Amino acid sequence: MSFLEALLVGLAEARRHFAQTLLSLLGLILGTGSIVAVLALFGGQSKITQDYVAEVGGFGTVIARDRELSQRPTATELASDRLTYGDARYLKQRATTLGAVAPGFFEEMDYRVGGVSFQGPVIGTTPDYAVINDIRPLVGRYLSDLDVERQARVMVLGWKYADSLFGAAETALGGLVTLAGRNFTVVGVLEREEFYFAPWSGNELEYRNRRAYIPITTAFSQYTGDDEHLSFLTLKAAHPTGARAAQQQVTAMLLLRHGVQDFDITPSGAGANDDAQFFKLFDFIFLVVGVVSLIAGGVVIANILLASVVERVREFGTRMALGATGFQIFAQVIAQVVVIAVIGGLLGLALGWGLTGTVAYFMKMPAAVTPTIALVAIGTSLSVGFAAGIYPAFRAARLSPVEALRYA
Amino acid sequence: MALIEARALTKVYRLGRVDVAALRGVDIDVARGEYVAIMGPSGSGKSTLMHILGCLDTPSGGAYRLDGEEIGGLRGRALARVRNRKVGFVFQTFNLMPRMTVEENVALPLQYRGGLRRRARLKRARALLERFGLGERIGHRPDELSGGERQRVAVARALIGEPAILLVDEPTGNLDSEAGAQVLRAFREVHAAGNTIVLVTHDPDVGAEAARTIRLADGRVAA
Repeated sequence: MSFLEALLVGLAEARRHFAQTLLSLLGLILGTGSIVAVLALFGGQSKITQDYVAEVGGFGTVIARDRELSQRPTATELASDRLTYGDARYLKQRATTLGAVAPGFFEEMDYRVGGVSFQGPVIGTTPDYAVINDIRPLVGRYLSDLDVERQARVMVLGWKYADSLFGAAETALGGLVTLAGRNFTVVGVLEREEFYFAPWSGNELEYRNRRAYIPITTAFSQYTGDDEHLSFLTLKAAHPTGARAAQQQVTAMLLLRHGVQDFDITPSGAGANDDAQFFKLFDFIFLVVGVVSLIAGGVVIANILLASVVERVREFGTRMALGATGFQIFAQVIAQVVVIAVIGGLLGLALGWGLTGTVAYFMKMPAAVTPTIALVAIGTSLSVGFAAGIYPAFRAARLSPVEALRYA
Repeated sequence: MALIEARALTKVYRLGRVDVAALRGVDIDVARGEYVAIMGPSGSGKSTLMHILGCLDTPSGGAYRLDGEEIGGLRGRALARVRNRKVGFVFQTFNLMPRMTVEENVALPLQYRGGLRRRARLKRARALLERFGLGERIGHRPDELSGGERQRVAVARALIGEPAILLVDEPTGNLDSEAGAQVLRAFREVHAAGNTIVLVTHDPDVGAEAARTIRLADGRVAA
């Protein structure tokens, strides 16, 4: 009896014991279905995280920060100017591994237009900032090199602030805003930025809509009295995978200029994973549910098969009398399981696919059932069926023909 | 050369701590083409003897040759092969597969033998069923048949592999007298066609069908 023939016999057996087959199938379908859905949604979730990292600066972004003074600072440490606009210009000219350099000045200031006033963040920076953070103007333009060179009193508003101060982005263009007592002309309003991990969570990027940008040189001359110390320094590697090389080169160059390591260079985007932790937990719960239902399905199959073996002891005895070997009996029971497991796996895949689509649609999450997930699902169903079928099949194969025939 | 040559067959069962001897040294010879009845009261060991002759069980001692092949040392797979090729069983309770059609039931031994495709196996089964007057029944399930028909299907199944010997256990025990007579007539035809039959029964009327009777008592041949 060939394997194909054993499978055909298994299919015929599965059909003849329809009620048993149906019950076994149910366990496998539910188990496989939930595992497919979990893996697909899980994949979608990691894609969200990647998107978020790309949105807030992307891979290959490196951040330079002042290091806190050590407990007993040395003279060189105390004498250092820390990170300055000069450092930024130096890196922009000399650092070959870098594609963009965005130095930044950051302060909370009073905004005022006519009767409307509030306090909010102001960022002094250069045109590279827009490149690194992938921000685009909705109307007007972003800061230009000329603005920086001439210390122009111009500003670019975040979408929300334009809305609060002028009622609309279009009316804000060309308007005057008083920032801590000094007037600036609005030359651009940025697109509204939004990013949601899930529909019920808030806009992760709302803070970017509530700020204004001015040239960094203007910020220093107007507000700090030419102290060019930076609040932050964001760097972007020339290649998306060049973050490590950039980190090394920048560290070496700044060390030479400062004479002491009073700064830290770290890759960006690492923190974005923390925000996704909550969803990982969510996935984990789903996965546990899937595994548990598969195991339950396996136990159901094992039970039903065992019962059907006991029920058919005389049948196996007769088959042995007609010349069936123990192995052929074993193959018969296993083939029945394989047929059930394959059908269960396929139907489970269909169920999981539908489930994924539904969840993805209502929760607006990206999710896809990939060929890998499909293979994993079928494979899991098969192994569970196999594990469940081995013992009953072994029991059937080990029967003594005489005792099996006598069995009432 | 005899088809069946059994010498000093013994069979000892272990029941808890007690050894129970079912066979205490049985010598039997059956020639090719014979029709033999093995008779005896229950507990005489006739079922045990039939199981050993049919290679369903192995003797504790003695020698057994079937169709020139030494059976004593065979186990598992080899015994299954002998059962499939040399022995055809007919049971008191028919033992048909309830969810298979009549022709599938009859073809089953050929499936375990291998070598023939399903289509060829079913063709042979149908031809044999025609010979037994069951040509109308090939697509039916066993529970749609009368008792006599079922037993004749079982006889066809036993013969499909062209075995050396037909082993029959109380063939009319579950049948009324008319159906029983029908089945016994089938055996006479099968015997007339040259087949060797060994029939186990405690019914004297059934035993009278055979040309020779072997009587068992207390695990020994009585006469």
